Amino acid sequence: MEKYRIFDNELEKLVERVLKMSNLVQEQVSNAILALNNCDLDLANHVIENDHKVDKLDVKIDKLCQKIFALQQPVATDLRYIISSLKINNDLERIGDHAVNIAKRIDSLSDYTNFCNELGVTEIANQIVMLTKDVDQLIKTQQPILANDIFQNARTIKDSCHKISEKIIEEMMQQKEVIVVATNIMIIVNLLERIAAYSTNIAESIIFVIDGKIVKHKKKTDEQSNNL
Amino acid sequence: MKNIKIHTENMYLYYGSKMALNNISIDIPENKVTALIGPSGCGKSTFLRSLNRMNDLIDSVKIEGNILLDGINIYDKNIDVVSLRKKVGMVFQKSNPFAKSIYENIAYGPRINGINNKSELNDIVEKSLRNAAIWDEAKDRLHDSALGLSGGQQQRLCIARTLAVNPEIILMDEPASALDPISTSKIEELIVQLKENYTIVIVTHNMQQAARISDNTAFFYLGELIEYNKTKKIYTNPDKKQTEDYISGRFG
Repeated sequence: MEKYRIFDNELEKLVERVLKMSNLVQEQVSNAILALNNCDLDLANHVIENDHKVDKLDVKIDKLCQKIFALQQPVATDLRYIISSLKINNDLERIGDHAVNIAKRIDSLSDYTNFCNELGVTEIANQIVMLTKDVDQLIKTQQPILANDIFQNARTIKDSCHKISEKIIEEMMQQKEVIVVATNIMIIVNLLERIAAYSTNIAESIIFVIDGKIVKHKKKTDEQSNNL
Repeated sequence: MKNIKIHTENMYLYYGSKMALNNISIDIPENKVTALIGPSGCGKSTFLRSLNRMNDLIDSVKIEGNILLDGINIYDKNIDVVSLRKKVGMVFQKSNPFAKSIYENIAYGPRINGINNKSELNDIVEKSLRNAAIWDEAKDRLHDSALGLSGGQQQRLCIARTLAVNPEIILMDEPASALDPISTSKIEELIVQLKENYTIVIVTHNMQQAARISDNTAFFYLGELIEYNKTKKIYTNPDKKQTEDYISGRFG
């Protein structure tokens, strides 16, 4: 049955590209955070320069999904996989953009590494690296248990980000001279929070591939997520 | 819950000693399109034909179990098969108009049922052709031979002929498989319109057609009903692996 061999080849190609995208974006996030922690401007530039690779792959995945929709009329698991690939691709691309946005602000923080540390930004940033590694792993293995971890960790990170933001505002109120740098840190915290949110989206998309359930916009209590 | 129009319970059908349908229990709702899908020889057409007792014409066929139409067993001894088939019309894969005029094709059934009044017949012909979405193409050539129509038009004429005797259920066996895409889409749109007034059961090999027009889909394999559910569910997240393999073309 020639047709389905072609179909399976196309699907394999898509799986490969999504994995590559996930890997690439994970690397961008790791490098951006490493650059942030060490105030390494060379590495920050490397992240900024690498963004075109993410963009290129983003378009390639979109086009392949379009082609499969138009020519193969996928159904059932195939359909869910391709719909989710489009969304995951989109979310990964946004995460990649945020890694670049973080990298672009490192320059302005060069004398404030300790300040970042005190505020807890470094810790959250390291947690984001772990989170995106889990996302990469989830995309590879499609294990629902990993999705569960991602939901919980992303929630913890988001809570911490909100707390740090409050702390930053306090600092700004107390000492006016930190306003500029504190604003930049605030933006970085916000970007980290967004990466956590996109990671949650990706985990939700994977759940949709696995069993067709739409879990987004639902409060994921521990009990519910244990049943995933 | 919608009204159940056809209900079968533990239905078995044999051709001689060969079992062709194995324990089929299904509820077909009123005013919905129900699609029967499955590979050739899976029993879907056999099942369709037992719904208006077309299988009676084959001597070796034996049926067990119940097939209820509006709660009445259609295989009961008291059932008048002719009036059953009037109630349950059928459209076949190959359009089969009579070698008569378009008008006579439609008027034939009502006439047999005792309607001879000219203006009443005119009304039925117009209404049937309109409801089958072929009036505009046929109105100026009502007395020309039906065989001069295109394949797609002939198929809509056959649907009009079915409608002329006021059925409640229309069975369709691959009604668009021999038609070009434009005629196919006309038939498909027609089917969706018709469900407002009729209950439609359609056999199709065209997966996308079943997906487009049906409310519920039944997947048959080797004489068994493997899965029956809302079409949306079957095509996005079927429960059975066999169903998934079949609709995604990975069968066998």
